[in-house]
Amino acid sequence: MNKDTAIEVKDLYKEFTIYYDKANTLKERLIRLGKGKKEKRQILKGVSLEIKKGEVVGLIGVNGSGKSTLLKLMTKIIYPTKGSVQTQGKLTSLLELGAGFHPDFSGRENIYFNASIFGLTKKEIDKRLEQIIEFSELGTFIDNPVRTYSSGMYMRLAFSVAINVDAEILLIDEILSVGDQHFQEKCFKKLEELKAEGKTIVFVTHGMGAVKRFCTRAVWLHQGEIKMDGDIETVIDEYVKTTA
Amino acid sequence: MNVFKNIYNYRELLKNNVKKEIRGKYKNSVLGVLWTFLNPLLQLAVYALIFPLILRTTQPYYVIFVCIGLIPWTFFTASVSQSAFTIIANGNIIKKVYFPREILPLSVVTSGMVNFLISTIIIVAFCFIYGLGLTKYIIFFPLIMIIQFILQLGIAFILSSLTVYFRDLEHFVQIILQVMFYATPIVYGKNDIPEAFSFIIKLNPVAHLINGYRAIFYDQTIPDMKSLSILFGASVVFCIIGYLIFKKLQKGFAEEF
Repeated sequence: MNKDTAIEVKDLYKEFTIYYDKANTLKERLIRLGKGKKEKRQILKGVSLEIKKGEVVGLIGVNGSGKSTLLKLMTKIIYPTKGSVQTQGKLTSLLELGAGFHPDFSGRENIYFNASIFGLTKKEIDKRLEQIIEFSELGTFIDNPVRTYSSGMYMRLAFSVAINVDAEILLIDEILSVGDQHFQEKCFKKLEELKAEGKTIVFVTHGMGAVKRFCTRAVWLHQGEIKMDGDIETVIDEYVKTTA
Repeated sequence: MNVFKNIYNYRELLKNNVKKEIRGKYKNSVLGVLWTFLNPLLQLAVYALIFPLILRTTQPYYVIFVCIGLIPWTFFTASVSQSAFTIIANGNIIKKVYFPREILPLSVVTSGMVNFLISTIIIVAFCFIYGLGLTKYIIFFPLIMIIQFILQLGIAFILSSLTVYFRDLEHFVQIILQVMFYATPIVYGKNDIPEAFSFIIKLNPVAHLINGYRAIFYDQTIPDMKSLSILFGASVVFCIIGYLIFKKLQKGFAEEF
């Protein structure tokens, strides 16, 4: 892989087997041997993509076009049926915020839990703790159990942890609708900062405004294939034309 | 080598998980971590009553004798039965975040070992109460413990990943453990078995471990180094095979929830 490549996706195929009635036990498996109603669904069909370090890529496309699946493959939560995904540098994904939050623990304790899932050590978390708390704007609520938080507070805390992990590659899935207007603005500012620092960012969104404002490149996925890839204006213009 | 680096990078997660397993186990119970002592002690009380009084076991120092069998056995069953559902219990996180999945079985076995170390205090206490004391052979204790750890880690890798695809396994495991309890010299000694069945003990890795612990604390001699070295080699190989199976199966974890 090239030194300045952050993510390299080669001829990627992903298919899911959809069981209508999933057999979880041995008995069920034996009984239904060969009978179970199932269906293979091709989500990605030969996607190739090279993302260079420092690029900010917006993944666009209608629902079900395979955007989230592609992100999940990049972060190694799932694995390809065929083809390969290679990444270079520490990678963090913000696919779903607050995964692994423990409702009975305080916000502060959850910062430690959550950040450790992202692979940070105690020392690294200690160093970032103040910054994370400040960014979340939770103030004194930080020592209350997370189950007492409003959904907005929950999201703010989760986002603050994830964004402060210091990854070189950041994968974001449609989560920039976090919190109120003010907090969203702040998230964008933070992302701008990360962009200026030369981090690679891939994000899935339906908000064309965000893509235009923030990305350096747009990739349009349609039915599991790349329909267009390149300059933001051209891709978005085409995309809006077909969906309108 | 990549494996070790990856786990080292996520050591904080491992630490947190181990803490959570140990604390979470007795969460909401009044006596809390005290149960780590109470559990084996109460079990011990039952065996110490039944065997000498009803079954007329003549083994001297029977309390210590059973205790040395029971505590490593508890370490074994706890790791094995907990590892069977650790992946399923964490399905929610597996679906959403990447982290080295091997952290999960590893933290089950590690937290089991911490509990084991705590309850070893009971063995040591009994050794002093009954006037046996400790001898220099105690230096073999960490060695046997490490062998047990590696063996259980191998089992944990295989069970935790297979259970995701065959949920029945959890129930099989419980039955097998019950049978194994009687096929392991816990309430009886290695010499109490009729010759015709001694092969069971020879093939049972836990039996060799318990014989080792008994040599150190009870017989106060050098443990059988030949059988322990074979067990060590076999456990390492088994653990590597277990890891390879885990590595292969973990690719599908997120799609199973």
